[in-house]
Amino acid sequence: MKIGLEVHVQLPTKSKLFCPCPTTDAPAPNTHVCPVCLGLPGARPMMNGKAIEYGILLAKMLGCTIRDTTWFARKIYFYPDNAKNFQITQYDRPLGEKGMYYLNGKKPIRITRIHIEEDPGKIKRVGDLSSLVDYNRSGIPLAEIVTEPDLSTPAEAREFLGQLIRDIRHTIDIPDDGERSIRCDCNLSVGIERCEVKNVTGLRNVERALTYEMVRQTKLLKAGGKVVRETRRFDEERGVTISVRKKEMEADYGYIDEPDLGIFNVKELADSLKIKESPHNMIIRLTKEYGIDERTAKQFVSTSVDLARLFEDLAAATDAETARTWTSGAISAGWRAFEARGGKDASEAVSIVRDFTNGKITDTECGLRIKAFLTGTDVDSVNAGSADLDAMISEYLDGNPSVVEDYRKNEKAANRVIGHVMKQTGGAYSSADIVDATKKLIGERL
Amino acid sequence: MSQTSVLSSLSEINEKYRMFRTITSETDAGDAKFLFSAKDNLTSKDMETCSGSRILEGYRPPFDATSIARMREAGGLLVGKTNMDEFGFGTFSTNSAFGVPRNPYDLERSCGGSSGGAACAAAVMEGHVAIGVSTGGSICCPASFCGVYGIVPTYGRVSRYGLLDYGNSLDKIGIISSNASDLGKYVGIMAGADPRDPTSCVQPAIGARRKLESVAVPKGAAEGVSEAVRKAFADGLEALKGMGVDVETVEMPSLKYAIPAYYVIATSEASTNLARYCGMRYGHQYGDLSLKFDDYFTSFRSQYFGEEAKRRILLGTFTRMVGFRDRYYSKARMVRQSIIGEYRSVLRGCDAVLTPTMPFVSPKFSDISIMTPVESYKADILTGPPNIAGMPHASVPCGYDGDGMPVGMQFVADHWDEGVLFSAAEEWEKNFDAVRPEVSI
Repeated sequence: MKIGLEVHVQLPTKSKLFCPCPTTDAPAPNTHVCPVCLGLPGARPMMNGKAIEYGILLAKMLGCTIRDTTWFARKIYFYPDNAKNFQITQYDRPLGEKGMYYLNGKKPIRITRIHIEEDPGKIKRVGDLSSLVDYNRSGIPLAEIVTEPDLSTPAEAREFLGQLIRDIRHTIDIPDDGERSIRCDCNLSVGIERCEVKNVTGLRNVERALTYEMVRQTKLLKAGGKVVRETRRFDEERGVTISVRKKEMEADYGYIDEPDLGIFNVKELADSLKIKESPHNMIIRLTKEYGIDERTAKQFVSTSVDLARLFEDLAAATDAETARTWTSGAISAGWRAFEARGGKDASEAVSIVRDFTNGKITDTECGLRIKAFLTGTDVDSVNAGSADLDAMISEYLDGNPSVVEDYRKNEKAANRVIGHVMKQTGGAYSSADIVDATKKLIGERL
Repeated sequence: MSQTSVLSSLSEINEKYRMFRTITSETDAGDAKFLFSAKDNLTSKDMETCSGSRILEGYRPPFDATSIARMREAGGLLVGKTNMDEFGFGTFSTNSAFGVPRNPYDLERSCGGSSGGAACAAAVMEGHVAIGVSTGGSICCPASFCGVYGIVPTYGRVSRYGLLDYGNSLDKIGIISSNASDLGKYVGIMAGADPRDPTSCVQPAIGARRKLESVAVPKGAAEGVSEAVRKAFADGLEALKGMGVDVETVEMPSLKYAIPAYYVIATSEASTNLARYCGMRYGHQYGDLSLKFDDYFTSFRSQYFGEEAKRRILLGTFTRMVGFRDRYYSKARMVRQSIIGEYRSVLRGCDAVLTPTMPFVSPKFSDISIMTPVESYKADILTGPPNIAGMPHASVPCGYDGDGMPVGMQFVADHWDEGVLFSAAEEWEKNFDAVRPEVSI
């Protein structure tokens, strides 16, 4: 089975691709519009340079070749949400081509191209015979990423899409606004001929649509039928794909270069832009560079890229093993509190751990000071707090001595204590702290 | 004639010549510094803008074209929108949905096109400034037929914001007037970078006026033109020599490919530009809403586009399709580059390339009605080359035939070198005996 995706992502520019209209949520239909995005006669596009920047960053993230010049094209098709009855997109000179992206750091997925284009408006059906068109979305910048048919299963496609979206969000700083903002055209073939399911929104639906299509095509072939090349759409409510048009009915879009925008020399810009390491690549690098296991690396990075960076700083100041121990322990435990109070610079933690490795402070003092620093309190109150916590755990263990016995057989027995304390304290302590303290106190009774 | 009395006579003038599609309701010129008109394909807030097409009938744009806005800021009063071939598709202004302008020298003849109404207004009203638009000859042709001065600045010199596109890579906004000095004056007002048209943002400032010292005449430029044009052009060359201008003959073999290449590029772009006119959002609307959207669009486009518009949409759609794009559209763009190269190499050795403007004087409407489309396309043979190359060019009157119909000649300068055209037209005007049409109202 072969699956290829065309992924559309809205770029987080403040204004639209070719006009100054805002991209934020509009108060009412057709309020964030102007002559340009309404396609009024005489208006013409002006390039939003920020969209090109985002496009280049994504092209780099996908390992694409970026040529020195890029330009736009008109794709002509008649549709009511298409204000000019042509869409300004890229055709023979996309921003990036021939990239390579690794699923889970292992499986290579070839990237055909990435280009920038304008979003059309939205059609809202009102009753059987009429529809309304809202052009607020018209002209919002989109990046379209096209893969080769290198994905093997619907589940893998979903996994790929999830990773891709996380990496895109990280690379161009898109806030996590749910998966609905991702639109995907899904191509699947189980034999020779493929079908395209257009405009599927969200990870779950991509997997559902592909699975339905896989089953449909397989059944069809088994029954001696033939899959015909066609475009289908996905009915989310019923979970089925429906034929929209056959291949021979597919439009010849009659592309021409967009004469109003000209040619963009992007070499200098592309050379000057550096991409942030993707979370995924960071996990792989941490594993390799510091010899820590993948699970730990994943935990650091998924908690926060800043936490992972602190780990690296610590490793540089001490050694990888010390850095791993303290980052997994006291630092992870206090990290949420640190972020919650708007903490940015955590380098203080590095000097605390150095004091420990230099023998200036003890193991326990180091833990307390890190906690005090991250939570923004002083050592005494941390001390008092952990004394309270210890007391509560000890009390529970006194009343339920069987926990200690069970713990010998299965460490999961500690969860009972943790659950109890959490309930009692209502989130006053981080779960990492409770786990640490419980294990320590059970250990004393073993 | 005071400006206010010109305003009050516009309707009457228009009865006779049909140069206006819309006339201002203003009756008092107030302290307007000058009166001007604009071709009906430039948007104006206070007047309909239809580009000569029925499909846009009733459309009042919400914004002014930059060219019109700048003329207004300079103290100009927009007196009306001038008649034109539908979307600029024509050479005689006979393809308008709103009547046909009449030549001031002979009402039975054409004003030329597609800015026919603009040239007519400039010829009839002395001192009137008419904004025209040229894609493949639509300023110089009518200027020549109406015996007035017309200039097409370099592509990108005047912002096209607010211009209803014909061929975006070819469209240029210019001036037609009976006074040569108006060309430089009003192009200067309209020119300059405008962020709303990115292609206007790469221009150098208009250079200082420079005296025309030498012209090159392409070999064979006067072949295939009518005897009257040949003679008037020869007289023009002699007059130029008398003014101290060097005249040399040059080979420009690629110019003959300009017309086929022009029609491919222009119709390819036009067929995409006209896609938006579909009975939705503006112009004629509210047809049979029970139709499927594409049938609905087709019903409007069939009913309201004129015959020539449909022909060019079909031509341009054909040249863009898979399998034809490389053979036509892509090749035409290579031809454009070689024509630009040829002009550049000639213009390194002289100030301007000179030819007659049109191969014949304005024809009678009765003759136009029996022309085939290809015959009328061929009328652009001399105006096509500078237009496809985006070179600035100007037409000046250079003589009259036996019936008193004007003949024009056309100077082509290098990109951004309008300065030499302004001074050439002004010098020429001092030495040329113009015969004004008799205007009796």
